[in-house]
Amino acid sequence: MKDKIMQLSGPKKLAVVAFAFGFIAMFAGNPYDNTFTNVNTKEIALSSMNDADKISVSDLADWIIKAKADYKLVDLRSQEKFEEYFIPSAYNVLPVDLSTSGLMRNDKILLYGDDNVISAQAWFLLKSRGYKGVYILDGGINAWKDQILFPKLIADATPEQTIEFNKMKEVSLYFGGAPQENSEQVNKAEIKMPELKAPVQTNLTTAPKKKKREGC
Amino acid sequence: MNAPFYKFGLFGMDISLVVAFIIGIGFGFALERGGFGNARILAAQFYFTNMRVLKVMFTAIVTAMLGVFYLSLIGWVDLSLVYVSETYLVPQIVGGLILGFGFIIGGYCPGTSFVSFATGRKDGLVFILGVVFGTFVIGELFPYITDFYYSSAMGKITLPDVFGVSYGMVVFAVVVMALGAFAAAEWGEKVMAKKNAGK
Amino acid sequence: MTILTETLKNEKTAEKTTHIVVEKPYSNPYYTGFGLGLVLLAAFVIMGRGLGASGAISTVTAVTVNAVAPEHAQSNEFFRGYIGDGTTNPLKDWLVFEIIGVLVGGFISGALAGRNKITVEKGPRVSTRTRFIYAFVGGSLMGIGAKIARGCTSGQALTGGALLNVGSWAFMLAVFAGGYAVAYFVRRQWI
Repeated sequence: MKDKIMQLSGPKKLAVVAFAFGFIAMFAGNPYDNTFTNVNTKEIALSSMNDADKISVSDLADWIIKAKADYKLVDLRSQEKFEEYFIPSAYNVLPVDLSTSGLMRNDKILLYGDDNVISAQAWFLLKSRGYKGVYILDGGINAWKDQILFPKLIADATPEQTIEFNKMKEVSLYFGGAPQENSEQVNKAEIKMPELKAPVQTNLTTAPKKKKREGC
Repeated sequence: MNAPFYKFGLFGMDISLVVAFIIGIGFGFALERGGFGNARILAAQFYFTNMRVLKVMFTAIVTAMLGVFYLSLIGWVDLSLVYVSETYLVPQIVGGLILGFGFIIGGYCPGTSFVSFATGRKDGLVFILGVVFGTFVIGELFPYITDFYYSSAMGKITLPDVFGVSYGMVVFAVVVMALGAFAAAEWGEKVMAKKNAGK
Repeated sequence: MTILTETLKNEKTAEKTTHIVVEKPYSNPYYTGFGLGLVLLAAFVIMGRGLGASGAISTVTAVTVNAVAPEHAQSNEFFRGYIGDGTTNPLKDWLVFEIIGVLVGGFISGALAGRNKITVEKGPRVSTRTRFIYAFVGGSLMGIGAKIARGCTSGQALTGGALLNVGSWAFMLAVFAGGYAVAYFVRRQWI
């Protein structure tokens, strides 16, 4: 058998190789699934220990105000919670749907949940599936509420803290929040979440900006 | 490995143009080697005397198809990031027919006409000017054919989706079909050579 | 390798020069196809896109129309698509640079094989003038067809073929069908 193949002309050898690879292909699985993706678990474990993959809520507020569009903001909470309130420009994707949601492996993805728990889990899931730019919103929507929507001026604030608060006040108002200058009086339950302005975005694949032509 | 490299931001727009130039060199080199800078060789495909077009094209398709299939399987290439143009079935068939007419009348296709021009063929240059003219004409007519142009839209769709079989099955079918076509082409060329020699 | 003694007739001066041309035969089609497939595969892996040709011509055409009649070009959806929004130079396009590479690559290969010469490819029974008319008409049809089909032999048949794109395979079969359907009527040009 081997000798016979060796005696063949070059093109015929190519044909044999092509036939063999084609035959194996039938049983090899779907190339769109990346069946045998190798995961560098050590690398992921190491990167999970530093804060490089965490984005602070004030950074995110800054991105939204500047209308940065190079990332996808993903809300991992339940649909009811999402419909109640979401951070502007967010998509609602449940953790179970992450791999089929239309997120691409070259997307910059920013995840958030109520706090860090669910986003950390989703972060691992995506990283292990070969997604490259995955980040979590540090503190989740709770931090967003505390620091962006309803920032508080503490009673014995230093001048620096006051300046900082005044800056945050503007940001807070931009997002329809209510800065709390006198924290003692306020009962958390009375705080009303801002009304949703943007329509709910659900379709990740069609919504993003139009790509440059790639065809012939 | 994270491929396609460009889509993972390994380099920017400017470098991508350098890549385009280098890949173009490889493309032009291969076309010229295959004899595709010569209209008579391209045209011979349609008179069954020289089946190079079929042989080169299908060998290239099989090579790239198998390559991208296995590189995706081992996780080196993310196939969902490789651009697949959307299908508009009827316009593409009509366009293909018109292009086929142009191919045998003019002797080239756009890519090969550049190679023929680069190797000194004057008919290649005239052909390129023709393509420019045709593109201008279709651009001017575009407002009148917009509806047709966007008709029978099927989105991004591949043969496995249509036939409802696995990707690998179609890969194997294409390989078998290509090998069969090569065998037929070799046989056909011999028959035509005998026939022409007998004249 | 064959050594041909060839008489090249320069049409303008009608001057006859006889010299020895070392012209190599074209490479084995299967090896060439394998090489071409690797180039295409490299484009997939490095860029995440395939090869193309007609797109470059479209860009150049649109830019020319835009230079001559900017308002007219901007009012046309087709041309506008190739000119872009004005933030970047439309000629800084991937396909335009790829085609410049094709010209260089074709020239290098032709030079190495001794196949570069100023000539016209045609059958013995037609005049150069006729051949030019056919080339221009064929090119025009090609331009029209390539735009309706969203690509040419490189962008659709080759690239889409390797990615099992439905439209590309339908297109490819149509190209061969169209070619064979008309071949008989233009046979004088070639044989």
